[in-house]
Amino acid sequence: MNCEVVVEQLDAYIDRELDADAALSVRTHVIECDACRKRVTSRRVLGQLVRAAPYYVAPASLKDRVAVHARRRTSAPRLWLQAAAAVVLLAVGSGIGLLQLRSVRTDVVVDQVVDSHVRSLMAGHLFDVQSTDRHTVKPWFLGKLDFSPPTVDLAEIGFPLIGGRLDYLNGRPVAALVYRRNQHTINLFVSPEERETSSAAAGTRRGFQVHHWVRDGMAFWAVSDLNETELMQFVRAMQAS
Amino acid sequence: MRRFEETVLPHLDAAFNYARWLTRDRTEAEDVVQDACVRAMRFFGSSRHENPRAWFMTIVRNTWLNRATRRPAVTKAVRLDDAGHEMEDEGLDPEEQLFQQHAVAQVRAALERLPVDFREVLVLREIEGLSYKEIGAVLRVPTGTVMSRLSRARDRLAALLEVAPHMETLR
Repeated sequence: MNCEVVVEQLDAYIDRELDADAALSVRTHVIECDACRKRVTSRRVLGQLVRAAPYYVAPASLKDRVAVHARRRTSAPRLWLQAAAAVVLLAVGSGIGLLQLRSVRTDVVVDQVVDSHVRSLMAGHLFDVQSTDRHTVKPWFLGKLDFSPPTVDLAEIGFPLIGGRLDYLNGRPVAALVYRRNQHTINLFVSPEERETSSAAAGTRRGFQVHHWVRDGMAFWAVSDLNETELMQFVRAMQAS
Repeated sequence: MRRFEETVLPHLDAAFNYARWLTRDRTEAEDVVQDACVRAMRFFGSSRHENPRAWFMTIVRNTWLNRATRRPAVTKAVRLDDAGHEMEDEGLDPEEQLFQQHAVAQVRAALERLPVDFREVLVLREIEGLSYKEIGAVLRVPTGTVMSRLSRARDRLAALLEVAPHMETLR
């Protein structure tokens, strides 16, 4: 074995990641070769130096917070709601609108959801079809989408459906259903979801509450400037419908 | 199923240390680990955790990545004269601190100057003692990549610390 091969394998050798045969070959060479012996020594010194770097132990306050969340989670029946609430608490606590979701892909969608929501309010393009009658809203989507979004009116619990429009998320058309709670608008985006069967997540983004869930092959995104409690009420009613 | 507390919480220090080196910022590291815990709680039970530490470290890293892509990069210049100063907050006992201050400050400053790809691989290997396979799982790269990256990271660090310039002779 020559120096070039040894240098190639030196780190794996020092880290004990070589198999027995390869390690023996390196060791045999190192015993013979001054230059490589020095290389091994300097790598070992370097390792010691790195291990002398500060070890940052988690602050006690962080451990406490996490332990509290963990206990709540295991004792609560609605696990994901607890987790979602924790996310919101953390997001608010850290001053950063943060949504805990599975992937960057989903994360991009969250931004789009919030963008669409903001745009719908600012541009005055909230509706393509304005109606408090779900029997008007639902047929309107026919022929405009290749799926039929569930249209539920929650007026009796204070979330009247006031209309719908066509919107786009992730480059594909989705149904946007518009609900009202007092002075607040809720946009509910609905699109087919093949990949996942059921999941849910929640959080805040740029000051908006976002709830996401998947059910019966449909992905739902509820977004509003409504407070967390009331939006959660809406989400639960929607999920129960 | 083992409880979340028993499985993940023992690795909180490792997670925090990793996050602290990734972010180079204590507050940011706390946020990352908190978020990672919440995420871990959500996923906990949905898969088997034969290696909870590597699993949790992966979540820490993904959490950090997600945050990093969403926020403007914090280009925190690390000045060498900062290194000793900041150390006072890190909870080493005074004697230890005095003894190690110089060498530790230098290593720390050098580590912080490395690109994060190099820094994290060194932290995971040297400080956390993860195997190549575990590191590969955390970084989602093949073991061979772990090996070559670690090797380059050590070369760079050695150059920064001026340890054994002869390491470079063959490369």
